[in-house]
Amino acid sequence: MVKKDLSVEFLGVHFENPFCLSSSPVGNCYEMCAKCYDAGWGGIVFKTIGPADFLIDEVSPRFDALTKEGTPFVGFKNMEQIAEHSLEENLADLRKLKENYPDKVLIASIMGPTEKDWEELARLVTEAGADMIEMNLSCPQMTSHAMGSDVGTNPELCKKFCQAVKRGSSLPMMAKMTPNITDMVPVAQACLEGGADGIAAINTIKSICNVDLNRKIGLPIINGKSSVSGYSGKAVKPVALRFVQQLRDGIPGVPISGIGGIETWEDAAEFLLLGATTLQITTAVMQYGYRIVEDLKNGLEHYMEEQGVDSLMDLVGAANGNMIPAENLDRDYVVYPEFDNDKCIGCGRCYISCFDGAHQAITWDDEKRRPSCDHDKCVGCHLCVLVCPVRAIGKGEIVMKPGRKGSPEEKAV
Amino acid sequence: MTQDYKKELKPAYTMLTIMEEAGRCLLCYDAPCSKSCPAGTDPARFIRSVRFRNFKGAAETIRGNNALGAVCARVCPTENYCQLGCSRSGIDKPIDIGGIQRFVTDFEEKTGMKILEKGPATGKKVAIVGGGPAGLQAAASLLQKGYEVDIYEKNEKPGGFLRNGIPEYRLPNHIVDVEVERIAGLGAKFCCGTEVDGAKLEELKKDYDAVLVAVGIGEAQILDMFKDNPYACPGITFLAEVAKKGGEIDLPDNAVVIGGGDTAMDAATTLKILGVQNVTCVTRKELADFRASREELETARANNVTIIDGYAPVEVDGKEVKFKHRRLKSELEIEADLFVLAVGQKSSAGKLGLDTASFEDIHADGNVFVAGDIVQGDKTVVAAVQKGKDAAEAIDKFLGGK
Repeated sequence: MVKKDLSVEFLGVHFENPFCLSSSPVGNCYEMCAKCYDAGWGGIVFKTIGPADFLIDEVSPRFDALTKEGTPFVGFKNMEQIAEHSLEENLADLRKLKENYPDKVLIASIMGPTEKDWEELARLVTEAGADMIEMNLSCPQMTSHAMGSDVGTNPELCKKFCQAVKRGSSLPMMAKMTPNITDMVPVAQACLEGGADGIAAINTIKSICNVDLNRKIGLPIINGKSSVSGYSGKAVKPVALRFVQQLRDGIPGVPISGIGGIETWEDAAEFLLLGATTLQITTAVMQYGYRIVEDLKNGLEHYMEEQGVDSLMDLVGAANGNMIPAENLDRDYVVYPEFDNDKCIGCGRCYISCFDGAHQAITWDDEKRRPSCDHDKCVGCHLCVLVCPVRAIGKGEIVMKPGRKGSPEEKAV
Repeated sequence: MTQDYKKELKPAYTMLTIMEEAGRCLLCYDAPCSKSCPAGTDPARFIRSVRFRNFKGAAETIRGNNALGAVCARVCPTENYCQLGCSRSGIDKPIDIGGIQRFVTDFEEKTGMKILEKGPATGKKVAIVGGGPAGLQAAASLLQKGYEVDIYEKNEKPGGFLRNGIPEYRLPNHIVDVEVERIAGLGAKFCCGTEVDGAKLEELKKDYDAVLVAVGIGEAQILDMFKDNPYACPGITFLAEVAKKGGEIDLPDNAVVIGGGDTAMDAATTLKILGVQNVTCVTRKELADFRASREELETARANNVTIIDGYAPVEVDGKEVKFKHRRLKSELEIEADLFVLAVGQKSSAGKLGLDTASFEDIHADGNVFVAGDIVQGDKTVVAAVQKGKDAAEAIDKFLGGK
């Protein structure tokens, strides 16, 4: 049985493993968080706490999901705002959690409309025993435009609010970014200048998942209407990974808590390799429960063993250097596809995709029902590799483009 | 019928198709599958691991509980156990739990995982008589608890019924070899070709701190009317002969199999796979209360075995046998070159001077324990695995373990 140390240090806080609940419906009260800790999670970002006078009034229903063929929840849309319990109840829960789970990491997510609110909330959650603060600058479905993702696109406002939080608390603090922005770096930079110790990315993406075709209303329907709100789940992982990479690129070494579509240990490892130190999850928990942490941890331990590393920190950011600007990529060669005729089952999907979506480079033997590649037309795009249902197409011969220097042998394909 | 006897009939899942099957799993709350394995397997746990792409974790879950996980994956009548209460049946059909377990244990083998570990030495020794499933599991459990284990096996290779009674198209020898090697790797010593009789048992009782008798029910039974009939052969004897010769036996032109259990289905399907033109399986029970597993029955049918239910043999004369229906006015006469009689087996414990009646308690007498099919309960490999684990627990307790 594999046994590896999954602990990480993040903003000076020790996590027994990097897996945390993100601030959301999955960490909304004491009972939920206690069950989550018992299941083996390393930390919890408690559902965002707002000022006492900000009343939460939610719609019903409040979720929707994007599906594709047999897969439910490719993406998930939610309209919930911040914690609906009273400020006193939330603070009492934080206190009780820290008391009963002193070795687990408790992170308080806060949000307010004014500097005074941010400062006060920071002070209150610190008194309640939180180990760390996360500033929610990014919820896309708040009913107040003074809070949420509109704030998160404004660097100066973010900086001011960060300073306010730092006035209210000396705890380590991370600012949670909105992906509803072209370039996240200026906002993150402003937050760091305002005193943030690290960055959490990403919050949900503004979305409309589906429209009811007969009633002509987006989903979910609330008394005949709907609203744009946050999108999460596996579908957003590529967007999240991109932002994490760009943050590490723009602000070298910045500590990151990675969020966005993590379901499996492989997803987790990808975030780590691109520079996240801790990992936050909600959608997969909403769908499958806290129990997913068992395979996240065990799978990651096996990966560490395969990689021959004893500390997860050795993996953090290991892939950052391998992401470079498109203009710097080697464009001197072509990798032709190679067809394994024994594996091929003769469906012809590669032929269709190559003709209709690429360069008409596959010829189809009608008799034998087998493809072959015309190297004169093939550009080595590998669309065929991706559509093959039995993985019968792989990387084949490497050829230098005419007149280019270098040799195929030295290419890492 | 050119099907290779040694080739597994059921195709294996690939990395792509396994995700489709695991994706069918509903990941139930309080999963019924995990409450219905006689050996305590937790399918809900390992299927969830597969679903979340943690194949190694899935292997740990299976192997940690069952030293014969790759065997059970292939031979367990899962339809009667874990798959019986599968919630997916409310949509279409149960999850292929055996198939997923097979994929995972194959993955374990391919990646060379070493999951089981030898426990800290207790300095005590246990002899196991019989290298079948119960003996092998008991050995693995005892080794993990730090005991030294010697296994006395009468055949050339350990495996017992797994090697002699289950055809290779269901369970290739290679799989049995790998499971046995893993247990040998934990430190088990195999004394093969050693038949233990009453005198030898007395010796073992003195030389070892405990002795576990797991000799199985390998004694063939035959119907009186077929005694001395040169065309008749007991089912397990026939299957053992085929296994020994790797399918290279003299084939009859046509054969009749009498019996309606798994051995009957195995014998009939084997004959078909080997190329016998007409194979008729006649069974006293009617299909509605058939003893064979549904999968075994379907396999026999898929291989074109003729199955006639409700008839019992009443008269035999050389190659001709007459059957009568149990309830209807109906008679049947068949001439065949071979009669395979799959009508039950007897305990092999008599040779050791032990009472041949089914043992009720796994602690037989003094420092002697019993496990496997000679103990009351289901006569399946998975039941034998649990009996092996129970015996190891009982021995550990007897010898002062925790």
